Amino acid sequence: MIARALILMARFWQVGPSRILPPSCRYAPSCSAYAIEALDRYGALKGGWLALRRIARCHPWGGCGHDPVP
Amino acid sequence: MKEDSKNFVLFAVLAALILFGWPVISGYFFPTANPPVTKIEGGQTKVVPNPAADPTSDAPGALRDRRIVLAETPRVRIDTPALAGSINLKGARLDDLILKRYDETVAKNSPPIHLLSPAGAAGAYFGGFGWQGDGAPDANTVWTATGDVLGLGRPVTLQTTNAAGQRFQIKLSVDENYMFTAEQTVANGGTAPITVRPYTYVQRAEKSPDPDQWTARVGPMVVVDDDETNLEWDEVTQAGSRFATTKGWAGFTDHYWLTAIIPDQRTPVDLTIRRSAAGRFGAEALAQNPTIVQPGRAAVQTVRLFAGAKEVKVLDAYAEQLGIRNIDNAIYWGWFKVLEKPIFYYLDWLFRLVGNFGVAIMLLTLTIRLLLFPIAQKQFASMAGMRALQPKMKALQEKYKEDKPRLQQEMMQLYRTEKVNPMAGCLPMLLQIPVMFALYKVLILTIEMRHQPFVGWIRDLSAPDPLTPVNLFGLLPFTPPAFIAIGVVPILLGVSMWLQFKLNPQPADEMQKQVFAIMPWMLMFVMAPFAVGLQVYWITSNVLTMAQQWWLYRQHPSMKVATAK
Repeated sequence: MIARALILMARFWQVGPSRILPPSCRYAPSCSAYAIEALDRYGALKGGWLALRRIARCHPWGGCGHDPVP
Repeated sequence: MKEDSKNFVLFAVLAALILFGWPVISGYFFPTANPPVTKIEGGQTKVVPNPAADPTSDAPGALRDRRIVLAETPRVRIDTPALAGSINLKGARLDDLILKRYDETVAKNSPPIHLLSPAGAAGAYFGGFGWQGDGAPDANTVWTATGDVLGLGRPVTLQTTNAAGQRFQIKLSVDENYMFTAEQTVANGGTAPITVRPYTYVQRAEKSPDPDQWTARVGPMVVVDDDETNLEWDEVTQAGSRFATTKGWAGFTDHYWLTAIIPDQRTPVDLTIRRSAAGRFGAEALAQNPTIVQPGRAAVQTVRLFAGAKEVKVLDAYAEQLGIRNIDNAIYWGWFKVLEKPIFYYLDWLFRLVGNFGVAIMLLTLTIRLLLFPIAQKQFASMAGMRALQPKMKALQEKYKEDKPRLQQEMMQLYRTEKVNPMAGCLPMLLQIPVMFALYKVLILTIEMRHQPFVGWIRDLSAPDPLTPVNLFGLLPFTPPAFIAIGVVPILLGVSMWLQFKLNPQPADEMQKQVFAIMPWMLMFVMAPFAVGLQVYWITSNVLTMAQQWWLYRQHPSMKVATAK
């Protein structure tokens, strides 16, 4: 239930703000796609934690490249 | 392509919705700026009268002129660097207060702000100190005073003795800002004990003329320990809302002004916000426990009353030095307080350095861009590194022409093995949003930004741009509807953003290209009703981005060839 709501948030980000920002993802899949998959597979708590850690990794000094949900 | 054009239609619809729905939505969620202080007519800047401050506007007939009401009762004059006015000796009321440092409008001959006015005059708003109990003085008691002026370092004691020989005293003093301190003494010179409960109150006949907004609350306010409650005017009932506390205060906040009663911070009191039968709004602090004064004894308590402008530093000092909890939150900072206050103090420091808040905002922008510069530089360096990979990428693109997700994956793999990355992530971009919001709040909330000029026709950075080409810069005799009256500064904003996008490499995606073509002009409309200061921030930011781009291209000459292609 909570996972659903969080997935909806990620979807909202994808069709809204993300559309108008220039493409800027360091990782593939993007954070939002990663979050959706993680929430779907692991539920709100663990999935949410994975998504948060992923977002925290995404900064100019962080890693990059192919980084799928474990 | 089909998908792209569908996306584009969707985007266009969204854009139209935002464009036309925006004034409605923003009016509710984001009060854009303070009301304009000037309008431009026939090439002349005219000062717009402040409707809130005009004492003759829509006053019911029963109300009399302020000066006449003031002359009816004996008074003690108030005179400090910040305040002027008088204390009404009938009822020991503080009901005539002028804020010397603030004017109603930006006009040179504007009258100062009248914060407090006596009952019977328009905008009646007053406060005072008293006692509940048999034999205590009431609203009709005429007090005697020890002096005729209350000033800095010149306290005045008001005094009255009842028939039973009990003396009531209020020793009033005032500091260089807006804090009145009252030492309330009951001295029992009679033969029987007296039971009293001291109180402090503020009353106002009308709601504040300032709108109560989501980002700038206006109205009754109560602080209990560390929790503050902002009530809505319509929530105030005759029964009242009661808050029991020892450490707290209550009052009324306007957009820029505040009155607050601050009880003795050791005595348990009931703070009550209520409406009187006559419809007046009242805030009062009443001691929970009665004081019994035996014959020959006296009881003293010290309370405070704040009446003045919500200057950030003044309130911060009161919170810290006098221990008045959260009085700094009378400025409705909200969630972003941690960001807003540093931005305010930095802006204020810059202002004192250069003497113009517009220039200070530009310097603030420069600082933020400098902080973000390493990120931009790193991004650019890796973009240059990407150039070397071009052949390999071409090969990949050929190989996975049909399988887009796979291509994406392989490209990311390539970046990883070659240790380059063209993207900084979305974080640097998103980081600027809270800064922007904080600046928006600082501009809208703080009195330090009120009526601050920039250059030329811009006489208030916290209001929208009054000069618009829609009526030929005021030469045509009509006022266009606010929605299309795009000012000169917002137009500059649109142009600067368009130029900035022009300098960037064109995005490969068709849809993105369309978005970037429309966005500057859409943002021009969206930003037009906001404070000029915010637009100055954004324009400066765009110009600096362009300068940065130019400089980075010079550092990496190979890149220039790449984008020119």
